Amino acid sequence: MTALAVSNVTLWVVVVALALALLAVVRQLGVLHERIAPVGALMLANGLKVGESAPRVEARDLEGRSLTLGAARAEERATLLVFVSPTCPVCKALLPILKSSLASERGWLDIILASDGEIAGQREFVRVQRLGEFPYIVSAPLGIAYQVSRLPFAALIDSQGVLRARGIVNSREHLESLFEAKRLGFGSIQDYFEAAAKRRAA
Amino acid sequence: MLDPATGYLIVLGGALLFAGAAAHKLSGFGAFTDAFVAYGVLPEAWARRSAWLIPCLELALAAALAAGRGGRAQLGAAIGLLLFYASAVALNLARGRRDLDCGCGSRRNRRPIAAWMVWRNIILAAGLALAALPWSQRPLGLVDVLTVAGGLSAAALLYMSIDRLLGDIAPQALAMRVTP
Repeated sequence: MTALAVSNVTLWVVVVALALALLAVVRQLGVLHERIAPVGALMLANGLKVGESAPRVEARDLEGRSLTLGAARAEERATLLVFVSPTCPVCKALLPILKSSLASERGWLDIILASDGEIAGQREFVRVQRLGEFPYIVSAPLGIAYQVSRLPFAALIDSQGVLRARGIVNSREHLESLFEAKRLGFGSIQDYFEAAAKRRAA
Repeated sequence: MLDPATGYLIVLGGALLFAGAAAHKLSGFGAFTDAFVAYGVLPEAWARRSAWLIPCLELALAAALAAGRGGRAQLGAAIGLLLFYASAVALNLARGRRDLDCGCGSRRNRRPIAAWMVWRNIILAAGLALAALPWSQRPLGLVDVLTVAGGLSAAALLYMSIDRLLGDIAPQALAMRVTP
């Protein structure tokens, strides 16, 4: 009987300790979820405002097709403008992710690449990296209009020509955070956390 | 026949549940009153005036359950209240008001009503109903105190964990998974 009682006591202590540990893990999980919410593309403090019209720029891609960026479109499709450069290593790492996003987000999104510099080098970049499926614009005024200071930089423009999200992207998470930002209606990770902080204070 | 240790575990668990719920409502009484009115089970003026009845009823039930050996009347009232909550949530879900605050989340974190809350209350009511079975007669010893105390602590901690998982974490995880 004593042995049974000791065993019983030990078991209860272990069960309650396990339940306590579970509660602690669940609470941590909640905190983590809040932290990682839209794993964020970092928005630069200055520059264009999300929610306002994107700058309207007309440009030609390498194939000579004319494109108007920042204009309202007849169909319900958004445009992701990604600024890259042949000399930027992070951009090269981002290209396969862009290709898979082009396929997976085909239903609602067009992806356009933009760069700046001499044409021959850009054509070589497109050939080597097999970027034929993307419209590729080489235009300095475009980068200036979108206030691109660092690469790779992405801007998401909705079908009304309104800038929905923008920021430096260097991983799949960053890129998807832009889509997430559009879905949730927050311009950037900073906006999301500010709103979350206000919600918590209320 | 129900072993008395199991019986006490069930009724004391019920008492703990109602006491916790009442303390929670009283600590944020303004928010609870708004939530209670929003449920729309009573006309607004009545609901606003009678909101205090709910936590008082819960406290009385907690005391009655803790004091008794699972009398039919106490158990019936407790099961009735749980099923009343379940039907209020189910009614509002059927009305399509999926963003209605359940009045059960923490003060800073409003929590919309959901189907799992209906199931939770039905399962809790079924658990309480078990204690209405006839209890066997046997003298209780120290080991039984341990069983009841350990069982209550483990059950309370597990309840809080599951509540948090279903109420706070699952909706967040779902929101992150849905693609445009």
